[in-house]
Amino acid sequence: MSDGRKKSGRGQQISSKKSRLSGGDDFGHAIAKIAVAQLCESAGFHYSRRSAIDALVEVAVRSICDLGKSANFYANLAGRTDCNVFDVIQGIQDLDSWRGFSGASGVHRCLVNTGVVREITQFVSTEEEIPFVQPIPRFPVSRMPKPAPSFAQAGGEPPGEHIPDWLPRLPDPHTYVHTPVWNKRDTDAKANMVELAKRRRKAERSFLSLQQRFACNSTAGFRPTKDGQVGNGNQVVNDNPFLASPLPYGEKEVCEIASPLKAYAGKSLSVLETFVPVIKAAKVGSLDFNTNERKLLHGIRPTVHFKVGTVKKSVAASLPSDTLIADKDSWFLKYNEKDDKKKRAEFIFRTVIDKPHELAQL
Amino acid sequence: MNSSSSSSMGGEGRHDDDSGLTEFLSSLMDYTPTIPDELVEHYLGKSGFHCPDLRLTRLVSVATQKFMLEVANDALQHCKARQAAPVKDKSKQPKDKRLVLTMEDLSKSLQEYGVNLKHQEYFADSPSTGMDPASREE
Repeated sequence: MSDGRKKSGRGQQISSKKSRLSGGDDFGHAIAKIAVAQLCESAGFHYSRRSAIDALVEVAVRSICDLGKSANFYANLAGRTDCNVFDVIQGIQDLDSWRGFSGASGVHRCLVNTGVVREITQFVSTEEEIPFVQPIPRFPVSRMPKPAPSFAQAGGEPPGEHIPDWLPRLPDPHTYVHTPVWNKRDTDAKANMVELAKRRRKAERSFLSLQQRFACNSTAGFRPTKDGQVGNGNQVVNDNPFLASPLPYGEKEVCEIASPLKAYAGKSLSVLETFVPVIKAAKVGSLDFNTNERKLLHGIRPTVHFKVGTVKKSVAASLPSDTLIADKDSWFLKYNEKDDKKKRAEFIFRTVIDKPHELAQL
Repeated sequence: MNSSSSSSMGGEGRHDDDSGLTEFLSSLMDYTPTIPDELVEHYLGKSGFHCPDLRLTRLVSVATQKFMLEVANDALQHCKARQAAPVKDKSKQPKDKRLVLTMEDLSKSLQEYGVNLKHQEYFADSPSTGMDPASREE
């Protein structure tokens, strides 16, 4: 049976709004709508208006509810809580009482011989079955909240003899006892803030130097250099050399523009040498940079290769493979924890490599 | 006398009644009503009807289905009467065979059963919709 939309859109909108007001029983209404539509189709209709079907659904639901109410009323009248077949028959008689049923007025006769039963029997025997099209589950689905386990269920003995064991368990002490909260780490807030500021400055400084370097050295490829971060080693709290405090401005002479190819060609193994103590120390477990690194780095500015992209020609093409592998190891060891600023800097590096023409946007 | 005869007959009658009842209920179980059992049980539970017996639920659903079919049949009669009654001119010689359940037919048939169903015929945007432009400007 198809739904003839002969109404104007506005009318349908309003009728659908009206049905929206029925509340949370939408599932029942939907099922009833299907059943009623099937009934109308069996009666002989080809099409139907949507509002007509809605009205019929309301009538059907209301008739079921009224029948149940009156049957319950009759059962209560007889002093019962469960309903009987006779209660239901009397309820049906009440609903259709305006038409009258034969035998309804008889007091001493059994209700089975009344017109109600006869009509229903006739209906059942003559009408053909139209089963509902879909199987539907039992509804409404009630979700039982899980009750708290009793003493016996939880396996523990109730504290005190006056408490029976079928009562629910007492709550855990951590739910009601107030315990002080201790900070696990032994650092004070001020040192943390200082450290945080240092890291931020470091990231910003490296980003700035990168920008400058890229602006004046765009043809030779990207080759960021390590800042002299290990110079001031006496304030390094943790073992990561990249997180050490930066050198104050002017302490160390730094050449701004490095010609990377020349610098590199002359010292093909210096990079590896530079990182040998790093690798060794990392294998041992502690990176102690204070003495070794200072000697090596003093005047040499070896290149640090950030792994900022998967395949970057500028980085990979000009290096021999073994140093690259060594560099990767060291890089992985040093870069296992990053804060947000570093991630942001890395993202900027990546975009710089990817789209050097968009550098102006950064 | 009447009461005694009926009461004496009641003893035998009760057997007939019992057998009639069981027969009736078993015939109910053979028939699968269109309104599903879960739906009927849901609404019956809402209204306070409590019975674990499935046959009573089937009885309720069969009674409701019977009522619905009667309403639908009456509406169908009204629809067919409306199609047959008006004399259409040459443009529409073959009768439109489509039977559509409309609110008018439904309200007419439900009125016989005691249900008053009123339906608005149209909805207007504003109070001046449909008026001729001369009066609208006022």
